Amino acid sequence: MPYHEFECSKCIPERLRHAVRKTEGEDLTSALPLGYLNTVPGSISERGCAYCGAKHVIGTPMKDVIHLSHGPVGCTYDTWQTKRYISDDGNFQLKYTFASDVKEAHIIFGAEGLLKQNILDAFAAFPHIKRLTVYQTCGTALIGDDIEAVAQEVMDELPDVDIFVCNSPGFAGPSQSGGHHKINIAWINQKVGTVEPEITSDHVINYVGEYNIQGDQEVMLDFFDRMGIQVLSTFTGNGRYDDLRAMHRAHLNVLECARSAEYICNELRVRYGIPRLDIDGFGFEPLGSSLRKIGMFFGIEDSAEKIIEEETARWKPELEWYRERLRGTRVCLWPGGSKLWHWANVIQEEIGVDVVSVYTKFGHQGDMEKGIARCGNGALAIDDPNELEGLEALEMLRPHLILTGKRPGEVAKKVRVPYLNVHGYHNGPYKGFEGWVRLARDIYNAVHSPIHSLSALDISKDEIPTDRGFVTRRMLSDRDLDPQIANRADLRPYSGRFDIIPEIRARRAERVANGEFVSAP
Amino acid sequence: MPATIHPRERPGIINPIFTCQPAGAQFASIGIKDCIGIVHGGQGCVMFVRLIFSQHFKESFELASSSLHEDGAVFGALDRVEEAVDVLLMRYPKVRVVPIISTCSTEVIGDDIDGVVRKLNEELLPRKYPGREVHLVAVHAPSFVGSMVSGYNVAVRDLVQHFAGRTEPNGRLNLLTGWVNPGDVTELKHLLAEMEVDATVLFETEEFDSPLMPDKSGVSHGETTVEDLRSLGDAVGTVALNRYETTLAAEYLEQEFGIPTVSGVTPIGIRNTDTFLQRVKNLTGKEIPRSLVIERGRALDAITDVAHMFLADKRVALYGNPDLVIGLAEFCLDMEMKPVLLLLGDDNPNYDDDPRIRAMLEHVDEMEIVTNADLWELERRITQENLELDLIMGHSKGRFVAIDSQIPMLRVGFPVYDRAGYFRHPVMGYAGATWLAESIANTLFADMEYKGMKEWVLNVW
Repeated sequence: MPYHEFECSKCIPERLRHAVRKTEGEDLTSALPLGYLNTVPGSISERGCAYCGAKHVIGTPMKDVIHLSHGPVGCTYDTWQTKRYISDDGNFQLKYTFASDVKEAHIIFGAEGLLKQNILDAFAAFPHIKRLTVYQTCGTALIGDDIEAVAQEVMDELPDVDIFVCNSPGFAGPSQSGGHHKINIAWINQKVGTVEPEITSDHVINYVGEYNIQGDQEVMLDFFDRMGIQVLSTFTGNGRYDDLRAMHRAHLNVLECARSAEYICNELRVRYGIPRLDIDGFGFEPLGSSLRKIGMFFGIEDSAEKIIEEETARWKPELEWYRERLRGTRVCLWPGGSKLWHWANVIQEEIGVDVVSVYTKFGHQGDMEKGIARCGNGALAIDDPNELEGLEALEMLRPHLILTGKRPGEVAKKVRVPYLNVHGYHNGPYKGFEGWVRLARDIYNAVHSPIHSLSALDISKDEIPTDRGFVTRRMLSDRDLDPQIANRADLRPYSGRFDIIPEIRARRAERVANGEFVSAP
Repeated sequence: MPATIHPRERPGIINPIFTCQPAGAQFASIGIKDCIGIVHGGQGCVMFVRLIFSQHFKESFELASSSLHEDGAVFGALDRVEEAVDVLLMRYPKVRVVPIISTCSTEVIGDDIDGVVRKLNEELLPRKYPGREVHLVAVHAPSFVGSMVSGYNVAVRDLVQHFAGRTEPNGRLNLLTGWVNPGDVTELKHLLAEMEVDATVLFETEEFDSPLMPDKSGVSHGETTVEDLRSLGDAVGTVALNRYETTLAAEYLEQEFGIPTVSGVTPIGIRNTDTFLQRVKNLTGKEIPRSLVIERGRALDAITDVAHMFLADKRVALYGNPDLVIGLAEFCLDMEMKPVLLLLGDDNPNYDDDPRIRAMLEHVDEMEIVTNADLWELERRITQENLELDLIMGHSKGRFVAIDSQIPMLRVGFPVYDRAGYFRHPVMGYAGATWLAESIANTLFADMEYKGMKEWVLNVW
């Protein structure tokens, strides 16, 4: 498994050991890309900062909280409304953001008084909200404001409020991953154990590393309802501040994104003896196994089996419809962190595509180890890729699709590779059985787009076909498909609605109305 | 109720209208051909600004970071700038211009970016890149001063100061556009072309709207060249649009080269576009041709179709970059609308010296202008103070105010990411006036139909 040297990066030799090509009989011990090292300056990396890793990725999905950044306005503005973590009670966390608006005089004379007034004003503006998080930024870290002391002062004055302080300035670490770590540890140090929850089930979990992107968490809560499992807290998508203070009372930590949230699970194990179970809400088989594992832990496997059976019967024919039409589709799986290994294998097994490359912006070597192990031979794995390397890889690999973020997706568009947003999703949720069909549908719609099929035609040089006024996706996807498969009556394309979250919320509200068990009221 | 102006009274910001200086400097940087800026600070200062550009334009733009990490924050990080410049130059052989843009962190630790530019000019460039033309331009953009608007102003000045020279008069006009959309640049260039005025445009951003090409050659980048920038000192005149975005550069050109300068015009609406053309005529001696009389007439015709029937007395709130808001307010007044609330940019203390604002304070009956504003100033007036509005005009960051209060909203300014293709449409010039009037009307029409509010009026319109 040799290191892969990019032409464009020959002049920066420290990049050499950040990319490998998986070969026959590979052994991960012979070559594993370096990870989580300082970025090469000027390389036009895609990485963000530790502030955004803490505030933007993990802190802000909490829904009943004023999220206040202590610094100049830019950090707040720039990270606001760039993610799709919804909540089930009005999206306060998406709609409102708070900045202490530090100016030059504060940099010189200190901004603690400013911060205190900000906190008081924020609570006054939203009297129904009693919880607040403060995020340090580069500027206020460097001037040394004592944010904890300010927070304590306010809590002493206003006994009904609670404030969490996260000291994770932008420069704290090679990437956003540094911020994930800092907020995990800060939360368990400051807040876990300060609220005693009401226990409503014999089976109690924390659902960790789940951010409710386009409703993922709510999809999973629906399953936990049906299994009779109480979800004490979600860290942090659609999560409540006070629920997260009670994490110490769970019987099990169920962990999705290990990259961003394994730290708190590990601490909960050490400090409170709560075991950690890594699960995966993406894909029929991994999700089924995950529900089974949780069921097994509590001795309620039957409830998991029932869900798997029902959901599989409902959605498998639709997943299969897409898999048959996506075989041989070459995709680059270029997410931020953990999806590179969550998806690397199952997207091939269940959606039929070939993963020709994986990359990670802020993953560590452990993520690469898992990701590469789940790829096929020939796959190119890149750590902390930069703009030119990405383009060179696209030219070399000629994928039909890349799964990445918004801005890199625009780069791919220009070299005629469509993209799907795997951070905020195109038309998610993608978790759950139906969600996985939605991903397959979105991949199909991108790859077999009739408009995309026009993009290679050079009307100044090529003979222009004049025999058609339109082409449908089916005409493209079924062109080389065995007619017996193309006409299988037992398969069908996706039959769900544009927005499935209202159905899930209605279902859960009905359970509450009927006095049935719900995992998290 | 007389018109008033006052700053936001709370110290903090709830839902900001603008971002910080480095974003403005980066917006200037992407306007120049063969230019990639290096932002000296944490990676988020670049990553998120690139993201917001890509949200607005649905394109990606190249900007680099010095990737300040913890050790640099403690011990100084100028070595990161040196390495960033070298890495960038090695890997991007076409790059000729590299703005080095500071941020709050690197200003606080006191990294001397002017010093490192000198050092690189004396050491790295002659040693490793002899014969290659490379311009390193230090731009101080601490985030705790001003806003993205002042950051743009400062960066344009620093770039102009670096390049502008004098050889021989070239008969051209310098057009400093300010922070506008590609659609505005197209319209402004069209107006000048009709007058047969050759212009050097800062910045040529039409290529931001780059094509998806069969040979994969499309790239979104500005087209203003080093040669364009050098020639600024040879112009017959400078028209600096948008007082708060280009005045520093215009003043420099005026003082250094004695170039006749008209500053602070924002050609939004018919009247302001007329003023713009008169200024250009004064500076260049070129006549305003009949073709523009026709274009102006077409715009007036379109506006007449909607103004006194549908727009008159409609109550509007406006927020965004100060010049945009002021220009829109003036145009709204011409269309008989009532701009009752104006939320202006940053903590610049001199807004009440602006003659346009002074004129509105003198002549408009009902208008509240809040400076250094945030979006909470808008929202709480609607939800808590019963401010009645028929329309909101502003950028996408305020979308939830409109959605939750069910007030129709026309997206204008930067960023607009929740509507498709708005960067392609001008708000400036006669074409911009037409687009604005018709878009306002269409926005109100959709609202009338959605709410069942005299929707039948449109049966016979």
